[in-house]
Formats: sequence, structure tokens, C-alpha cells
Amino acid sequence: MPPVNGTFCVTIMKDRCINARMPGKCATCVEVCPYDVYAIDQLGQVRVQNYNACVGCRICSEFCPEDAIRINPAESEFLVRSPWTFPQVEEIHYKSLTGEYMLRGFGTMGGYWPSFDNITVVPSQIASPAPRDKYREECNLEVVIGEDTCERPIRLRYPFLFPAMSFGALSKEARMALAIGAAMTGIISNTGEGGLVRDETWLIKGYENEERTLRRWEPGGYLIVQWSTGRWGVSADYVRAGDGVEIKIGQGAKPGMGGHLLGAKVTEEIAAVRGVPIGSDALSPCRYYDVQDLEDMKRMVAFLRDITDYQVPILFKLGPSRPYEDVAACVEAGADAISLDGLVGGTGASPAVVTQGVGIPTVALIPPAVRALKDLGVHRKVKLFILGGMRNGLDAYKALAMGADGVGFGAAAEIAMGCRACMACHVGRCPYGITSQDPVLRARLNPVEAGQRLANFIKATAEELKILTMLSGHDDIRDLSEEDLRAMEPNIAAVTGLKLIGYEKKLSIWENGR
Amino acid sequence: MSRVLNAKDKDLRTVSAELKSCLSDGEIVIKNAAHLHGLCGGLKTGKITIHGDSGDYLGVLNDGATLRVTGNAGRYLADNMTRGYVLVEGDCGYGAGAYCYGGTIVVYGHAGDFTAVMNKGATILVAGDVGDEVATYMLAGDLIIVGDAGKNLGNYLIRGNIYIRGQWASLGHNTRVQEMMPDDVAKLRGYLEEYGIQADPADFQKIVRLSERPFYKSKPTR
Repeated sequence: MPPVNGTFCVTIMKDRCINARMPGKCATCVEVCPYDVYAIDQLGQVRVQNYNACVGCRICSEFCPEDAIRINPAESEFLVRSPWTFPQVEEIHYKSLTGEYMLRGFGTMGGYWPSFDNITVVPSQIASPAPRDKYREECNLEVVIGEDTCERPIRLRYPFLFPAMSFGALSKEARMALAIGAAMTGIISNTGEGGLVRDETWLIKGYENEERTLRRWEPGGYLIVQWSTGRWGVSADYVRAGDGVEIKIGQGAKPGMGGHLLGAKVTEEIAAVRGVPIGSDALSPCRYYDVQDLEDMKRMVAFLRDITDYQVPILFKLGPSRPYEDVAACVEAGADAISLDGLVGGTGASPAVVTQGVGIPTVALIPPAVRALKDLGVHRKVKLFILGGMRNGLDAYKALAMGADGVGFGAAAEIAMGCRACMACHVGRCPYGITSQDPVLRARLNPVEAGQRLANFIKATAEELKILTMLSGHDDIRDLSEEDLRAMEPNIAAVTGLKLIGYEKKLSIWENGR
Repeated sequence: MSRVLNAKDKDLRTVSAELKSCLSDGEIVIKNAAHLHGLCGGLKTGKITIHGDSGDYLGVLNDGATLRVTGNAGRYLADNMTRGYVLVEGDCGYGAGAYCYGGTIVVYGHAGDFTAVMNKGATILVAGDVGDEVATYMLAGDLIIVGDAGKNLGNYLIRGNIYIRGQWASLGHNTRVQEMMPDDVAKLRGYLEEYGIQADPADFQKIVRLSERPFYKSKPTR
């Protein structure tokens, strides 16, 4: 099989390795590696049997009691042979031998597209409102979804959410961790399209046990149940179990395609929730079989509101396509919030060419989406969440200053749980138990510990956002604006409409507010 | 004595509120409801008759109620139903029984394209003809067609059975005709007699899946 994301040099330092000194002792690396990179020979000596199998997850290095393993990318391959890098050559071999295309998880492999990195934050000095004191003054980070449209609006403590990642794509333990992390921080966890893990419904409210007798985590979060094209595990009870319903139109990993859960991950438990045969691929349709036009979508929103007794908000999730038109359509359909997923992100399994080359980069989605909301007079009323490669408070600040109301952390949440971004989620052998259904691997993920890590990540990121908000002279994230940002080079200025550094104006193509 | 609700010029929220307030009163008749889409959604109990035609998404997410339509039903009848009964005396449109996990749908007239699409466990009985692409990606349940079917019947069938008495224009991917067994005949006889449909179970043919994994075209990279 060809490498997922390049090749890695696996080095065992013999002077440290216990097994090298005492053959037959310590084979931790052999035990923990789910890809059979290591083997024990007849003499009891550990050796690297398959370099190409290494995905770079570094679980061996992490578990090695003597810190004797080094995993380094074989970078020279990338530099010397480009574009015929080793993975590219292997991929062509694979396709020529099998007639099958490549699949991949965890989003893009990078590229030369516009990104948040080419935008800088403008701090406040004398010509603008004075900076706020992060240590002695308050800063509002709260976001409310559905304030005017439903009876139980969602009040996010921080403008963050964990976007849809289904039970099936993720292990049960990872789903539980997301619920605990959201409960500890007062944000959203989203079921994705794989049905409901029963424990989520009480964990998300901060309860330690199913009887809801002990509330362990404050302030409690919000569970969004996703309504998607596959409708796996969906019933009236499921729809009513959430604090909101998200209608999935598309996702960043594979816009224009349906969910893609490979048979390797369809265990007995997941098959029962989804209603598919064990081991069979669960491939969601690319479109709704019960929606033919926008009028049908409006009716879908109407009956979902009716079934949930007009209590909870209705959200939409879009892939990166035509942000202006798509966002306008969601507003017309009756959305309370819209999550817009960018090309850069995407945790789901997808054909490699789709993940890598289909859709609009995240940063370029925001200006047209915000313009659509402003043109319709609903900016800051219908909430806009940006997903896709969001990493930290700096990315969040930039998205918010460009007009978004919040951001989602998908891949970052997985990394916060312990993931090392080896990009082999779809294989089902996640060494950290996050995207695996193997009981042995799942046992490596403690939901409470992972939930605590998620909460730590969210709180630290919120602090970053707070620092940036206050140093630019604001005490409320709703006051952030494009004036708080500058484009670092003409291309990003052309894409975003931000003022260009040095020039201190918008490019002429953005004059008249385009 | 049944309770009568007149839905004329009322919106879904108003009619739903009235309906839910009297669900325990016994049988309910709703009149003039053809303009309402998503009526009787997510109900767990109740015996409701829609007098005349109904709109789209009637009985969506039905979870135990019994609904009867005396006229024609719109599109997406009993969408995503999990339990209960939905009976239509006339015809119904596109996508009847889409995404259902359970329950029973009986259409005494004809049904449109994409009937029983992604059916995951419901029993769907159509006394007339059905359109194209019927039972696409069906994962479980039974579809019984007394009349004829259009193109691509049972396309990408995963599990479940299609019983058809008439002809089909073409069969979809991953389907094959299987011999009717005595159990099949007995099952069909039970349904046909229960719902008063005149047809001989022995005249039906049975269509089942070819393979349980029709999608296996590509494999993971490792």
C-alpha cells in the first residue's frame, strides 16, 4: 500500500533501546504500532520491517520507555524529485496496479492557496480607541444562536464549536470526550450524521452518570444533532434530543459528495445505530432524496421547527462552494446559524483528489458570506461560523474580524485529544483511539482526560482571542471589524478586500464595497 | 365521535398546536389541509384522518400514529417514519417512504418516483404502479408493488425485499430476481388481506440484492 502522507525515516537508537541491549525484553513499539512497522525476529530482536507503512503518528516514540525512537519525514524526497515525490510515484503505482483511486482523511496536504497566515492583526495605539486591559477589564466572548426565533436559544460562552464528526468516523470515546469538553466550556458539540451516542445526551449537560444525579462539569454545553442526506439513526426522539438541529448540505472534506464511512469502521455497534450491515460501507447520498428545490428546504426547516416545538435553533452546514448564493439560500430557508466549511479543513474520509483540490479556501469564503448576510439585513442575527483548518485564537480573531460570529475546531479538536495528524483516520487503526473502532486502540483514549484536554484547548484559545480583541481596543467580539486587520500581500488583499499593508487602502477592485 | 379540525387558512404551527392539544381525545379528522407541509410530524400516538388531499411530508418522522388520507398525498409521504401506519386512499407523489426505519405505508393508488428510497425497515405496499428509481439504496424492509414499476427498480439494493406483481422497465444495479418461497407468499397474503387488496400472492416476483457490498470500488490507502 502506498504511503498516506509521505515517507518517514524510522530510527531506533541502539544505545538507548532496551531490546537492543536485552533481546526478548521490551517490545513496546511492536505492541503499540497499528501499522506493523516493527517486528520481532527469531532472536527476539526488534527491527523495522516496513518503513513505507509508517504514517508518522509517533505513537511508538511516545510509548518508548527509553525515548529511543526518532520519526522524521524524509524531506529530501519532496525537495529533490518534485513533482514526482515518492508518495506521488507510489500513488501512481497503486492506481496502475489496482485500478482504484486513493482515499484520505484529515483534510488537505497543504498548498499555495490564500490563508489566514497572510493577514495581520492591527493593534490599537493613539489614533484608535485605546487598548483594553486584559487583566483588569471584561471582554464579552458570548454568542447567542436563535435569540429571536426559538424559545431555547443557544448561549455559547465562547464563540467556538466542535463541528460535526460522526460516531463511526470517531470512536465512542472520542464522541464522549467532545461532549465533556463542550460541557466544561459551554460550547457546542455536534453529533455528525452517525446517530446519537446515548451517553452524549447527559455528558453534554455536565452529568457524570446517566441518572443525572451528579453534575460534575460546569457550565454544561449544547448538543447539536445533525440531519443529513443519509439520515443514519434519525428519529423523532433523536431530533428532539438536541439543543439544535443542523441540516447538513455539504462538508469541507468532500463538498458535493455524501458522508463516506468505510466498511472497516462499521462495527456491530455502529451498524446497529446506522441500520447498515456490519462491515458494509455506509455511503450517504450526495443530496437529499426528500428535497428537490429551495421550497422543499423551507418546508424541511418548518417541519423540523414544528417537531421540536419551536424550541431550538435550526443550523445549516455548507461545503465551500458559492458562499454568497449558498448563504443567501440558507437565510431564505430559515437558518438561525450557518457553518461554512473551507477547503483547508475536513476530517472525513474522502477521495484524495477531492480533499486536495475541490472547494474554496476557508479565508476566501468569509467576505462573500458576510456580504450575503449584510445584503439580506441579517448580519449578526443569523450567525456565521467558519470551519476548516482553524488552529488557534489568532485564526479565530481574523475570522471574527472579517465578519464571522464564531469558528469551529474539528481537526484541532482531534489533535487536542492526542492525535498527531498522521492523516490515516479513514483506515480505522488510529493509534490514539480517536478515529478507530478497534477495542484495543479505543481503550487508549480516556474520555474524561481527553475531554479535559479539549476544555483546556478551548479555554486557552479563548484567552488568545480575548487578548487580541482587547489589544485592538475592543471589549466585545461583536465590535471587531475589517479595520482591525491588514492583508500582508496583494493577493490576499484582492481575495479578502482588506486594506493592504503599506498601501493602507483596499485595492481598487474592492472600491464601492464590491 | 371524532374531533374535527378545520385547517383552512391556518399555518402549520397553529394546526399542530390544535392537533397536539386534542390527541388524547380519540380519532381526529383534519379538513382542508392540502396546503400544509409536514403535518402530523413526529407524533407518537393518535389516529388521524386527513379528509381530502394532504401536502408534502405528511407524517414525517412519524413515531407511532396512524394516519389515513382520503384523497391524494403529496411528496415525501411518511418521510423518515420509525413506527406507525400511514394509509393513502388515492395516489402519492415523489419519494413516498423515503428514509423510513419502520412502520407501514399503504397506498391504494399509484406512487411516484423514488418510492422507498433508502428505506431502512418499513413495509410499503402500493396497490397501483410506481415510478422510476424505486427502492434506490434500500437497506431493509419490504416493498410490495401490485402494479408495474419504472426504470432502475431497486438500484443499489443493500438488503430488504421487493415484491412486484407487474412488469418493470429495468432493474437497477445490484439486483436479481429470486424465486418466491412459501414464506414470501404467506407474508404477502397476510398484507394483501389485511389491507383489502385484491391480488394473488403467487403472481408476484421477488427482487433481492446481488451483493451486500455494492460500493466496494476503492480501498483505503493502507
